[in-house]
Amino acid sequence: MSAHEKNNKTRRWLVWDAPTRVMHWLLVVFVGVCWWSGINNELEYHLYSGYAVLWVVLLRLYWGVVGSSTARFANFVRGPKAILDYARSLHRRRSPHTHGHNPLGAISVLLMLGTVLAVVGIGLFAVDVDGLYSGPLSGFVSFRQGRHLAHLHYTMFNVLLAVIGLHVLAVIFYYAYKGHDLVFPMITGRRKGEMEPIDALQTAPAWRLAVGALIAAAIVWAITKVFYYW
Amino acid sequence: MPLPTRWIAFSATMLCLSLASPIVLQAAPGDSALIKSRQDKLRDMGGAFKAIDDELKKRNPDWENAILPNAQTVQSRSSYLLTWFPKGSGPESGVKTYALPAIWQKPDDFTKIGKAAQAEAAKLNQIAASKDLAALKAQATALGKACKACHDPYRSPDYEKENDE
Repeated sequence: MSAHEKNNKTRRWLVWDAPTRVMHWLLVVFVGVCWWSGINNELEYHLYSGYAVLWVVLLRLYWGVVGSSTARFANFVRGPKAILDYARSLHRRRSPHTHGHNPLGAISVLLMLGTVLAVVGIGLFAVDVDGLYSGPLSGFVSFRQGRHLAHLHYTMFNVLLAVIGLHVLAVIFYYAYKGHDLVFPMITGRRKGEMEPIDALQTAPAWRLAVGALIAAAIVWAITKVFYYW
Repeated sequence: MPLPTRWIAFSATMLCLSLASPIVLQAAPGDSALIKSRQDKLRDMGGAFKAIDDELKKRNPDWENAILPNAQTVQSRSSYLLTWFPKGSGPESGVKTYALPAIWQKPDDFTKIGKAAQAEAAKLNQIAASKDLAALKAQATALGKACKACHDPYRSPDYEKENDE
Protein backbone atom coordinates (compact mmCIF):
# COMPACT_ATOMS: atom_id res chain seq x y z
CA MET A 1 0.00 0.00 0.00
CA SER A 2 1.48 3.30 -1.01
CA ALA A 3 1.77 6.21 1.38
CA HIS A 4 -0.68 8.13 -0.73
CA GLU A 5 -3.42 5.46 -0.46
CA LYS A 6 -2.89 5.12 3.27
CA ASN A 7 -3.20 8.82 3.64
CA ASN A 8 -6.37 8.64 1.57
CA LYS A 9 -7.98 6.16 3.98
CA THR A 10 -7.28 7.98 7.23
CA ARG A 11 -7.85 11.56 6.21
CA ARG A 12 -11.18 13.27 6.69
CA TRP A 13 -12.24 15.01 3.51
CA LEU A 14 -14.30 18.17 3.50
CA VAL A 15 -17.54 17.25 1.71
CA TRP A 16 -20.19 19.75 2.86
CA ASP A 17 -19.54 23.47 3.28
CA ALA A 18 -20.89 25.27 6.36
CA PRO A 19 -23.87 26.92 4.60
CA THR A 20 -25.18 23.58 3.29
CA ARG A 21 -24.89 22.02 6.74
CA VAL A 22 -26.46 24.96 8.53
CA MET A 23 -29.34 25.05 6.02
CA HIS A 24 -29.90 21.32 6.50
CA TRP A 25 -30.20 21.57 10.27
CA LEU A 26 -32.16 24.83 10.16
CA LEU A 27 -34.68 23.05 7.95
CA VAL A 28 -34.94 20.26 10.54
CA VAL A 29 -35.54 22.79 13.34
CA PHE A 30 -37.98 24.98 11.40
CA VAL A 31 -40.02 22.04 10.08
CA GLY A 32 -40.12 20.75 13.66
CA VAL A 33 -41.47 24.08 14.92
CA CYS A 34 -44.03 24.09 12.08
CA TRP A 35 -45.17 20.61 13.03
CA TRP A 36 -45.48 21.42 16.74
CA SER A 37 -47.24 24.76 16.21
CA GLY A 38 -49.57 23.29 13.59
CA ILE A 39 -50.63 20.38 15.80
CA ASN A 40 -51.22 22.73 18.75
CA ASN A 41 -53.02 25.40 16.71
CA GLU A 42 -50.35 27.97 17.65
CA LEU A 43 -50.72 29.53 14.24
CA GLU A 44 -48.86 32.76 14.92
CA TYR A 45 -45.66 30.75 15.46
CA HIS A 46 -46.74 28.50 12.61
CA LEU A 47 -46.77 31.44 10.20
CA TYR A 48 -43.30 32.61 11.23
CA SER A 49 -41.78 29.12 11.19
CA GLY A 50 -43.40 28.54 7.79
CA TYR A 51 -41.77 31.72 6.45
CA ALA A 52 -38.47 30.53 7.91
CA VAL A 53 -38.82 27.19 6.10
CA LEU A 54 -39.58 29.02 2.86
CA TRP A 55 -36.53 31.22 3.33
CA VAL A 56 -34.23 28.23 3.90
CA VAL A 57 -35.59 26.31 0.91
CA LEU A 58 -35.28 29.31 -1.40
CA LEU A 59 -31.71 29.87 -0.20
CA ARG A 60 -30.92 26.18 -0.70
CA LEU A 61 -32.27 26.34 -4.27
CA TYR A 62 -30.06 29.37 -4.90
CA TRP A 63 -27.07 27.61 -3.33
CA GLY A 64 -27.83 24.64 -5.58
CA VAL A 65 -27.03 26.87 -8.55
CA VAL A 66 -24.17 29.10 -7.41
CA GLY A 67 -23.00 27.48 -4.15
CA SER A 68 -20.12 25.14 -3.31
CA SER A 69 -19.50 22.20 -5.63
CA THR A 70 -21.28 19.44 -3.66
CA ALA A 71 -24.32 21.66 -3.10
CA ARG A 72 -24.89 22.31 -6.82
CA PHE A 73 -27.69 20.43 -8.51
CA ALA A 74 -25.74 20.25 -11.76
CA ASN A 75 -23.03 18.28 -9.94
CA PHE A 76 -25.24 15.64 -8.36
CA VAL A 77 -28.56 15.35 -10.21
CA ARG A 78 -28.05 12.49 -12.67
CA GLY A 79 -29.91 10.86 -15.53
CA PRO A 80 -31.90 7.62 -15.41
CA LYS A 81 -28.94 5.46 -16.48
CA ALA A 82 -26.64 6.67 -13.70
CA ILE A 83 -29.47 6.28 -11.19
CA LEU A 84 -30.19 2.70 -12.32
CA ASP A 85 -26.50 1.79 -12.32
CA TYR A 86 -26.18 3.12 -8.81
CA ALA A 87 -29.36 1.38 -7.64
CA ARG A 88 -28.03 -1.94 -8.95
CA SER A 89 -24.91 -1.57 -6.80
CA LEU A 90 -26.90 -0.66 -3.70
CA HIS A 91 -26.85 -4.20 -2.30
CA ARG A 92 -23.03 -4.29 -2.23
CA ARG A 93 -21.76 -3.87 1.28
CA ARG A 94 -18.39 -2.49 0.25
CA SER A 95 -19.10 0.21 -2.25
CA PRO A 96 -17.03 3.35 -2.65
CA HIS A 97 -18.20 6.57 -1.00
CA THR A 98 -19.74 9.18 -3.22
CA HIS A 99 -18.18 12.56 -2.46
CA GLY A 100 -21.47 14.40 -2.04
CA HIS A 101 -24.93 13.17 -2.99
CA ASN A 102 -25.11 9.83 -4.79
CA PRO A 103 -27.51 9.51 -7.78
CA LEU A 104 -30.30 8.05 -5.62
CA GLY A 105 -29.74 10.61 -2.88
CA ALA A 106 -30.16 13.29 -5.55
CA ILE A 107 -33.74 12.14 -6.10
CA SER A 108 -34.25 12.28 -2.35
CA VAL A 109 -32.95 15.88 -2.23
CA LEU A 110 -35.27 17.00 -5.04
CA LEU A 111 -38.20 15.13 -3.50
CA MET A 112 -37.52 16.67 -0.09
CA LEU A 113 -37.17 20.25 -1.36
CA GLY A 114 -40.14 19.82 -3.71
CA THR A 115 -42.41 18.43 -0.99
CA VAL A 116 -41.43 21.11 1.52
CA LEU A 117 -42.05 23.77 -1.11
CA ALA A 118 -45.45 22.25 -1.91
CA VAL A 119 -46.49 22.19 1.76
CA VAL A 120 -45.40 25.81 2.25
CA GLY A 121 -46.87 26.93 -1.07
CA ILE A 122 -50.29 25.50 -0.23
CA GLY A 123 -50.04 26.89 3.30
CA LEU A 124 -49.65 30.43 1.91
CA PHE A 125 -53.24 30.21 0.64
CA ALA A 126 -54.71 28.20 3.51
CA VAL A 127 -57.49 29.75 5.60
CA ASP A 128 -57.42 29.50 9.39
CA VAL A 129 -60.81 28.47 10.73
CA ASP A 130 -60.51 31.11 13.48
CA GLY A 131 -59.75 33.84 10.95
CA LEU A 132 -56.67 34.84 12.96
CA TYR A 133 -53.67 33.56 11.08
CA SER A 134 -54.64 32.61 7.56
CA GLY A 135 -51.87 32.28 4.99
CA PRO A 136 -50.59 35.62 3.63
CA LEU A 137 -52.04 34.92 0.17
CA SER A 138 -55.41 33.63 1.41
CA GLY A 139 -57.03 36.85 0.17
CA PHE A 140 -56.81 35.40 -3.34
CA VAL A 141 -59.09 32.44 -2.54
CA SER A 142 -62.58 32.11 -1.07
CA PHE A 143 -63.19 30.91 2.48
CA ARG A 144 -64.26 27.52 1.20
CA GLN A 145 -61.32 27.13 -1.19
CA GLY A 146 -58.95 28.24 1.56
CA ARG A 147 -60.37 25.65 3.94
CA HIS A 148 -59.93 22.95 1.30
CA LEU A 149 -56.33 24.11 0.87
CA ALA A 150 -55.80 23.92 4.65
CA HIS A 151 -56.76 20.26 4.49
CA LEU A 152 -54.56 19.71 1.44
CA HIS A 153 -51.78 21.36 3.49
CA TYR A 154 -52.21 18.64 6.16
CA THR A 155 -52.23 15.88 3.55
CA MET A 156 -49.09 17.21 1.90
CA PHE A 157 -47.42 17.44 5.30
CA ASN A 158 -48.11 13.74 5.81
CA VAL A 159 -46.43 13.11 2.45
CA LEU A 160 -43.48 15.17 3.71
CA LEU A 161 -43.35 13.05 6.89
CA ALA A 162 -43.13 9.96 4.66
CA VAL A 163 -40.29 11.54 2.66
CA ILE A 164 -38.48 12.44 5.90
CA GLY A 165 -39.01 8.88 7.14
CA LEU A 166 -37.52 7.48 3.92
CA HIS A 167 -34.55 9.84 4.25
CA VAL A 168 -33.86 8.72 7.84
CA LEU A 169 -34.25 5.05 6.88
CA ALA A 170 -31.73 5.54 4.05
CA VAL A 171 -29.24 7.11 6.47
CA ILE A 172 -29.69 4.16 8.85
CA PHE A 173 -29.27 1.72 5.94
CA TYR A 174 -25.97 3.34 4.89
CA TYR A 175 -24.71 3.21 8.45
CA ALA A 176 -25.84 -0.30 9.37
CA TYR A 177 -25.35 -2.08 6.02
CA LYS A 178 -22.55 -0.22 4.30
CA GLY A 179 -20.77 1.24 7.30
CA HIS A 180 -21.02 4.77 5.90
CA ASP A 181 -21.75 7.40 8.54
CA LEU A 182 -23.71 10.18 6.83
CA VAL A 183 -24.74 12.07 9.97
CA PHE A 184 -21.28 13.01 11.23
CA PRO A 185 -20.27 14.64 7.91
CA MET A 186 -23.52 16.65 7.89
CA ILE A 187 -22.45 18.04 11.30
CA THR A 188 -18.70 18.52 10.87
CA GLY A 189 -18.54 18.75 7.10
CA ARG A 190 -15.88 16.02 6.87
CA ARG A 191 -16.06 12.35 5.99
CA LYS A 192 -13.68 9.39 6.09
CA GLY A 193 -12.84 7.08 3.19
CA GLU A 194 -11.15 7.52 -0.13
CA MET A 195 -11.65 10.43 -2.50
CA GLU A 196 -10.67 11.24 -6.05
CA PRO A 197 -8.71 14.53 -6.11
CA ILE A 198 -11.02 15.81 -8.86
CA ASP A 199 -13.96 15.66 -6.41
CA ALA A 200 -12.35 17.96 -3.84
CA LEU A 201 -14.85 20.50 -2.51
CA GLN A 202 -14.72 23.90 -4.17
CA THR A 203 -16.25 26.33 -1.73
CA ALA A 204 -18.22 29.34 -2.89
CA PRO A 205 -17.43 32.75 -1.38
CA ALA A 206 -19.41 34.00 1.62
CA TRP A 207 -20.59 37.17 -0.15
CA ARG A 208 -22.48 35.01 -2.60
CA LEU A 209 -24.32 33.39 0.29
CA ALA A 210 -25.14 36.82 1.72
CA VAL A 211 -26.62 37.90 -1.61
CA GLY A 212 -28.75 34.74 -1.72
CA ALA A 213 -29.91 35.21 1.87
CA LEU A 214 -31.05 38.75 1.01
CA ILE A 215 -32.82 37.66 -2.18
CA ALA A 216 -34.62 34.84 -0.34
CA ALA A 217 -35.61 37.21 2.47
CA ALA A 218 -36.90 39.75 -0.06
CA ILE A 219 -39.05 37.09 -1.76
CA VAL A 220 -40.50 35.91 1.57
CA TRP A 221 -41.14 39.50 2.62
CA ALA A 222 -42.87 40.23 -0.70
CA ILE A 223 -45.08 37.17 -0.37
CA THR A 224 -46.10 38.03 3.18
CA LYS A 225 -46.59 41.78 2.77
CA VAL A 226 -46.37 43.36 -0.61
CA PHE A 227 -49.02 41.51 -2.60
CA TYR A 228 -51.82 43.26 -0.76
CA TYR A 229 -50.60 46.70 -1.63
CA TRP A 230 -50.41 46.68 -5.38
CA MET B 1 -96.63 -26.19 -2.58
CA PRO B 2 -97.01 -23.67 0.23
CA LEU B 3 -93.83 -22.30 1.88
CA PRO B 4 -93.13 -23.57 5.37
CA THR B 5 -94.27 -21.14 8.02
CA ARG B 6 -90.79 -20.77 9.52
CA TRP B 7 -89.41 -19.73 6.12
CA ILE B 8 -92.01 -17.01 5.88
CA ALA B 9 -91.23 -15.92 9.43
CA PHE B 10 -87.49 -15.93 8.71
CA SER B 11 -87.87 -13.96 5.49
CA ALA B 12 -90.15 -11.45 7.13
CA THR B 13 -87.66 -10.97 9.97
CA MET B 14 -84.75 -10.46 7.57
CA LEU B 15 -86.78 -8.02 5.52
CA CYS B 16 -87.68 -6.02 8.62
CA LEU B 17 -84.05 -6.01 9.78
CA SER B 18 -82.72 -4.92 6.42
CA LEU B 19 -85.23 -2.10 6.24
CA ALA B 20 -84.70 -1.03 9.82
CA SER B 21 -80.90 -1.20 9.98
CA PRO B 22 -80.18 1.95 7.96
CA ILE B 23 -82.51 3.85 10.27
CA VAL B 24 -80.80 2.44 13.33
CA LEU B 25 -77.28 3.12 12.03
CA GLN B 26 -77.91 6.53 10.55
CA ALA B 27 -78.76 9.63 12.48
CA ALA B 28 -82.29 10.80 12.68
CA PRO B 29 -82.92 13.02 9.65
CA GLY B 30 -83.60 15.96 11.98
CA ASP B 31 -80.12 15.76 13.53
CA SER B 32 -78.49 15.48 10.16
CA ALA B 33 -80.28 18.58 8.85
CA LEU B 34 -79.54 20.48 12.06
CA ILE B 35 -75.81 19.69 11.91
CA LYS B 36 -75.68 20.53 8.22
CA SER B 37 -77.39 23.86 8.86
CA ARG B 38 -75.05 24.57 11.79
CA GLN B 39 -72.04 23.93 9.58
CA ASP B 40 -73.46 26.14 6.83
CA LYS B 41 -74.06 29.01 9.24
CA LEU B 42 -70.64 28.71 10.85
CA ARG B 43 -69.12 28.62 7.36
CA ASP B 44 -71.07 31.76 6.47
CA MET B 45 -69.65 33.45 9.54
CA GLY B 46 -66.15 32.26 8.68
CA GLY B 47 -66.57 33.53 5.13
CA ALA B 48 -67.90 36.90 6.28
CA PHE B 49 -65.13 37.27 8.83
CA LYS B 50 -62.53 36.36 6.22
CA ALA B 51 -63.98 38.99 3.87
CA ILE B 52 -63.45 41.60 6.60
CA ASP B 53 -59.90 40.35 7.28
CA ASP B 54 -59.06 40.49 3.57
CA GLU B 55 -60.43 44.01 3.36
CA LEU B 56 -58.37 45.12 6.37
CA LYS B 57 -55.19 44.14 4.55
CA LYS B 58 -55.96 46.42 1.64
CA ARG B 59 -54.78 49.98 1.32
CA ASN B 60 -58.30 51.28 0.77
CA PRO B 61 -60.81 49.04 2.50
CA ASP B 62 -64.32 49.07 1.08
CA TRP B 63 -66.48 49.90 4.08
CA GLU B 64 -69.88 50.10 2.43
CA ASN B 65 -69.80 47.00 0.22
CA ALA B 66 -67.46 44.72 2.12
CA ILE B 67 -66.87 45.49 5.77
CA LEU B 68 -70.29 46.69 6.95
CA PRO B 69 -72.49 43.94 5.42
CA ASN B 70 -70.06 41.23 6.51
CA ALA B 71 -69.80 42.58 10.04
CA GLN B 72 -73.58 42.47 10.11
CA THR B 73 -73.61 38.86 8.91
CA VAL B 74 -71.13 37.87 11.61
CA GLN B 75 -73.18 39.52 14.32
CA SER B 76 -76.60 38.30 13.21
CA ARG B 77 -75.37 34.71 12.84
CA SER B 78 -73.55 34.81 16.17
CA SER B 79 -76.67 35.78 18.08
CA TYR B 80 -78.12 32.32 17.34
CA LEU B 81 -74.83 30.53 18.02
CA LEU B 82 -75.89 28.87 21.26
CA THR B 83 -79.09 27.46 19.79
CA TRP B 84 -77.16 25.39 17.23
CA PHE B 85 -75.89 22.81 19.71
CA PRO B 86 -78.88 20.92 21.18
CA LYS B 87 -78.19 17.65 23.00
CA GLY B 88 -77.74 14.80 20.54
CA SER B 89 -76.18 16.92 17.80
CA GLY B 90 -72.62 15.78 18.58
CA PRO B 91 -70.67 12.89 17.07
CA GLU B 92 -73.07 10.42 18.77
CA SER B 93 -75.58 11.40 16.08
CA GLY B 94 -73.47 9.47 13.58
CA VAL B 95 -73.18 12.57 11.40
CA LYS B 96 -69.67 13.72 10.54
CA THR B 97 -69.09 16.72 12.78
CA TYR B 98 -66.15 18.47 14.40
CA ALA B 99 -68.24 19.19 17.51
CA LEU B 100 -66.72 17.41 20.51
CA PRO B 101 -68.75 15.70 23.27
CA ALA B 102 -67.13 18.15 25.72
CA ILE B 103 -69.70 20.74 24.57
CA TRP B 104 -72.44 18.81 26.36
CA GLN B 105 -70.22 17.73 29.24
CA LYS B 106 -69.30 21.31 30.17
CA PRO B 107 -72.38 23.28 29.08
CA ASP B 108 -71.72 26.19 31.45
CA ASP B 109 -68.24 26.83 30.12
CA PHE B 110 -69.44 26.37 26.54
CA THR B 111 -72.23 28.89 27.08
CA LYS B 112 -69.85 31.36 28.71
CA ILE B 113 -67.42 31.17 25.77
CA GLY B 114 -70.30 31.40 23.29
CA LYS B 115 -71.65 34.54 24.95
CA ALA B 116 -68.18 36.09 24.97
CA ALA B 117 -67.97 35.46 21.20
CA GLN B 118 -71.38 37.07 20.71
CA ALA B 119 -70.21 40.14 22.63
CA GLU B 120 -67.07 40.41 20.45
CA ALA B 121 -69.15 40.01 17.27
CA ALA B 122 -71.52 42.76 18.39
CA LYS B 123 -68.57 45.00 19.17
CA LEU B 124 -67.09 44.27 15.73
CA ASN B 125 -70.32 45.37 14.07
CA GLN B 126 -70.43 48.51 16.21
CA ILE B 127 -66.82 49.47 15.40
CA ALA B 128 -67.38 48.72 11.71
CA ALA B 129 -70.14 51.29 11.72
CA SER B 130 -67.72 53.88 13.17
CA LYS B 131 -65.23 53.17 10.29
CA ASP B 132 -62.25 53.34 12.61
CA LEU B 133 -59.67 51.18 10.80
CA ALA B 134 -57.19 50.72 13.67
CA ALA B 135 -59.96 49.89 16.14
CA LEU B 136 -61.51 47.44 13.68
CA LYS B 137 -58.19 45.67 13.17
CA ALA B 138 -57.84 45.25 16.93
CA GLN B 139 -61.43 44.04 17.22
CA ALA B 140 -60.99 41.53 14.38
CA THR B 141 -58.13 40.02 16.37
CA ALA B 142 -60.28 39.97 19.51
CA LEU B 143 -63.08 38.19 17.64
CA GLY B 144 -60.64 35.70 16.11
CA LYS B 145 -59.39 34.90 19.59
CA ALA B 146 -62.99 34.42 20.76
CA CYS B 147 -63.52 31.92 17.89
CA LYS B 148 -60.29 30.13 18.83
CA ALA B 149 -61.25 30.07 22.53
CA CYS B 150 -64.15 27.79 21.64
CA HIS B 151 -62.58 25.90 18.72
CA ASP B 152 -59.54 24.77 20.70
CA PRO B 153 -61.41 22.91 23.46
CA TYR B 154 -64.71 22.09 21.74
CA ARG B 155 -63.86 21.38 18.11
CA SER B 156 -61.76 18.38 17.07
CA PRO B 157 -58.38 19.40 15.63
CA ASP B 158 -58.58 20.59 12.07
CA TYR B 159 -56.08 18.08 10.73
CA GLU B 160 -58.02 15.11 12.09
CA LYS B 161 -60.80 15.32 9.55
CA GLU B 162 -60.49 15.04 5.82
CA ASN B 163 -62.41 18.16 5.04
CA ASP B 164 -64.87 20.72 6.32
CA GLU B 165 -67.83 19.14 4.62
